[in-house]
Amino acid sequence: MPLLINGLRVEVVGREITGRPVPGRPRRSYWPYLRGLPSLALASVLIIPIAVTTVGAFRTKHGVGLGNFGVLTNAGAGRALLHSLIWVAVAVALIAAGFGIAMLGHRVSGLWRILQPTLVVPFAISGLVAGAAFRIIFDPAPERGTVTAVVTAVFHSSPVWLSPGFIWVVLVSAFCWGWLGYVVSLFRAGLEAIPDDLARAVKVDGLRGWRRLRVVELPILLPIFGIIGLTLVVAAVRLFDLILITAPGAMQADADVLALHWWRTTNAGEDSGRSAALALVLFAVVAVLAVLGMRGLRRHWAMPESAIPPSAQPSRPLPSRNRKVLGLAVGVPVSVFCAFPVLVLLLTALHEPAAAGLHGWWSSHGLGLSSFGAAVNAGLLRALVSNLLIAVVATMLVLAVAVRTAFLLAWGGLPQRLTRTVVIACVVLAVTPVQMYAAPLREAFAYSGLAGLRISLVLVHAAAGLPFAILLLRVAFASAPASLVAEALQGQARRSAVITRVRQTCGPALTAVAVLQFVLAWNDFTVGFLIGGPGATPLSLVLWGEARQFATSAGTVAAAAVVSSIVPVVLLLAYWPTVVRGLTVGTRP
Amino acid sequence: MPSPGPFPGRFSRRRFLAGSAGAAAAVAGTAVAGTAAGCAAAADVLGLGRTVRVAVTWSAEELQAFRAVLDGFGDLPYAIDLVPLGDDISAAFGPQRPDIIMLPQPGLVTENHDKLQPLPDQVSPGWPYAAVWSPVSSYGLPFKMTDKSTVWYRKSVFAEYGLDPPPSWSKWLNLNARLARAGVAPLAVAAADGWTLTDIFENVLLGISPQTYEGLVPPNPRARWTDPVVAQAFRLLGRMWAAPGTLAGGVNRSLVQQFPEAVVEVFGHQKAAMVISADFAEPVIRRYAIDPGDVGVFPFPVIDGDDQERAGGSRQPPLVVGGDVAVLLKHAGDTAVDDYAVNLVTRLANEEAPLPWITGHGGFLAANLKTPIASYSDLLKPLAEQLARPNVEQPIAFDLSDRLGALGGSEGLWRVLQDFLVAVGGRGPTAVPDAADIAVRRLNDLALLRR
Repeated sequence: MPLLINGLRVEVVGREITGRPVPGRPRRSYWPYLRGLPSLALASVLIIPIAVTTVGAFRTKHGVGLGNFGVLTNAGAGRALLHSLIWVAVAVALIAAGFGIAMLGHRVSGLWRILQPTLVVPFAISGLVAGAAFRIIFDPAPERGTVTAVVTAVFHSSPVWLSPGFIWVVLVSAFCWGWLGYVVSLFRAGLEAIPDDLARAVKVDGLRGWRRLRVVELPILLPIFGIIGLTLVVAAVRLFDLILITAPGAMQADADVLALHWWRTTNAGEDSGRSAALALVLFAVVAVLAVLGMRGLRRHWAMPESAIPPSAQPSRPLPSRNRKVLGLAVGVPVSVFCAFPVLVLLLTALHEPAAAGLHGWWSSHGLGLSSFGAAVNAGLLRALVSNLLIAVVATMLVLAVAVRTAFLLAWGGLPQRLTRTVVIACVVLAVTPVQMYAAPLREAFAYSGLAGLRISLVLVHAAAGLPFAILLLRVAFASAPASLVAEALQGQARRSAVITRVRQTCGPALTAVAVLQFVLAWNDFTVGFLIGGPGATPLSLVLWGEARQFATSAGTVAAAAVVSSIVPVVLLLAYWPTVVRGLTVGTRP
Repeated sequence: MPSPGPFPGRFSRRRFLAGSAGAAAAVAGTAVAGTAAGCAAAADVLGLGRTVRVAVTWSAEELQAFRAVLDGFGDLPYAIDLVPLGDDISAAFGPQRPDIIMLPQPGLVTENHDKLQPLPDQVSPGWPYAAVWSPVSSYGLPFKMTDKSTVWYRKSVFAEYGLDPPPSWSKWLNLNARLARAGVAPLAVAAADGWTLTDIFENVLLGISPQTYEGLVPPNPRARWTDPVVAQAFRLLGRMWAAPGTLAGGVNRSLVQQFPEAVVEVFGHQKAAMVISADFAEPVIRRYAIDPGDVGVFPFPVIDGDDQERAGGSRQPPLVVGGDVAVLLKHAGDTAVDDYAVNLVTRLANEEAPLPWITGHGGFLAANLKTPIASYSDLLKPLAEQLARPNVEQPIAFDLSDRLGALGGSEGLWRVLQDFLVAVGGRGPTAVPDAADIAVRRLNDLALLRR
């Protein structure tokens, strides 16, 4: 029967209700789950070997049991565990130091223009290159090593920096150098995002110093503390290539960490169950830290905030003169600290190999480009092409698979529990150390004939980078305005408008994922070394092979290091603001 | 529509950097792809083409010298891919095997003979190799030989103090004491490379008792590590290292010093007088010596004991040799590559094959006794003659640590000797007997574990 309401003809069509109302759930279609299949297939490249290692850790000669964990009672393994825990403490100290620097340099104009590039460069440089640079700087011969020369000039004798005990100075400096830029940049992004009116209101209320820190900065920056804490602590526990290249052969037992100990145990031909147990212990340590970090991020992951940057602020109050001086007093030394090892590498590479082995980078004899020639002779160019291929293909594979899965998780209408499980699984997979899946994967590749081929490395890199990409993209997609997505899903907005808005809001996250994945695959040493063996990974072939007689090959090693670092450094310098925005999306207050 | 952002200038800088990165990559890509070598490299990278993969322990200059040897064969129907594995040469027996391994440890030949192909007979007719190579004759082709009983010194230092190369161990200790009193560090020890320490120890042991030395080789060793001769070898060596002021830079410096750094200390920075090193130190010395004419070499002296104990046994100086053998790996695959591998090994067996290394780079003694001695440098000629026509009474033996397998490796003998150096270095003769006993006991325990 037609009605007329406000000029609108309305017809009601219905039928009589018969019988009792029947309880039930809305019919759920299973088609969206198909979108998750590619990522499941790629992730199984890691999941299956992890399962194999876990089972192998519990399989002893007498059946299932905890016998293999007796490997921890070795003095060496106990010491390695202790050292890994010391590295966790180092990472925490670095976070605190980075926060201090970011706070002190906050709002000092002009400082960041100089500081920013020097902070980005160490992050772009791989652990192997950082270790090589610091080993050159801390060379025990006063004729070659910078620090030794300075200390000898002042005190007439210098400790031997690479010897047991002092090697920690070298390793900790190299680690802090590599990660300081990342920590400071992310904190700075968080601090910049604190709304000015909040800061002004707090100032008017008279809160100063520690109280202000506790009330304003710490709660707002908690998600960023969470991300940085997670990445840094996991990196510290998984440390492998830095120690391998910095510690001379005799010293490696004294600077041992769990990851390195696993490699030496496997090399010495120990029972595979015992190495699996060691890997499982390393994994347990890392997983516990990850879960703790996730609890700090719970608000972040469950309730993503808007990612649209605030509109241009009215002009900010200029910092006081004292603040400026303090900011510069902290910022300039940090900048010099970050730039110095790069300078040393470059100048060492500009000496001939024989001159670099005799004298330090400051001497004026033997300048020339023959170190680069020697590095090219050792196969550097071929290695670079190979590396480029692997990194590009792995990045494209990760993006192709992660975008669909992230969209599915964010807007696919999956049940809440399933989404949460998948997110936790992604976090755990993202922090899994390579040692958990290296041995079974190596055997699988050897068996299937893929051993030593680039395709196997591409697969492993893609699988290893997938979880992190999914996590980041999920948050980015989830923070797109809901109305926009609803319009897109229901077909009421034009497709190009939707795509443009999505690119605007999620573009930074996509670029961040692509750039980070490329840089990580390019700089990798651990995956190729443990799964491919020392002859397989392109860059390791050159750098690691040349680093065998380190001090006298300093010129060639430095040349190879410089050439292999150009691409990631330029890429990260170009895209750093986007990467920071992509990493901190969803954490703005 | 790009967001304006507070720093519009950044946008163009980012564009410029990204553009330059792209341009650089494009230029590099075309440069590499354009050259013929690039095409071959691309084929290699994509896994096309037949290549013979050769695993070697050499790196840097030695690797280039081996490449020169391979280039000396001219154009070959196959490509050769060198895989430098450094000290991890045993990884070549792992899952990804190459086709040929240039193996520096003949002990690994017997351990892994099930993975190796026996050498075809026509590879080296007449077998012109020294008797020490007989244990590996069916599986390995000897390529390079090393004389590990040499000591390199600076002639000017000896001339300044009126010293001559010592003919015996006791005279050597007196010489060291004389130099230390004058303020010159006598020895630069490269303890970061454990094999330098094992070479010195083997010389002392072989010089005291060749029977015990040969008896320690597995399988079924006739001697034990607890033999008093072994402890005596440790004590004699310990007293040399324990004398104050002997080690340049002290123990800490020696522990982080690798073999070329020790050579640089003696001949480059001129901080020490002697370095105990094998013949392959020659090119390193030539490279870094400030005064190339100031180089001398004397053979390892007779071990007659020192002022605290006499050493019985031979009156002849020891001669410890090492070397590299080429072995062929069994493959379940491509027979064409197998044929190429045999072809390469046959070429390497030729007596003229290593000439590019001998004349171009130096520090190479050919295992093939027919290689012309005239091609060696003046410093190496006497060593080559000694190897070609050895004195019958002189005890000649292959490097012990290479034959012990894992016991002679980085977790075995190397570590025991490094810890021994830490225990005695510069501490005076009183610390030596206990340290020697501890070292012997550790070696015995390790040997029993491996059995």
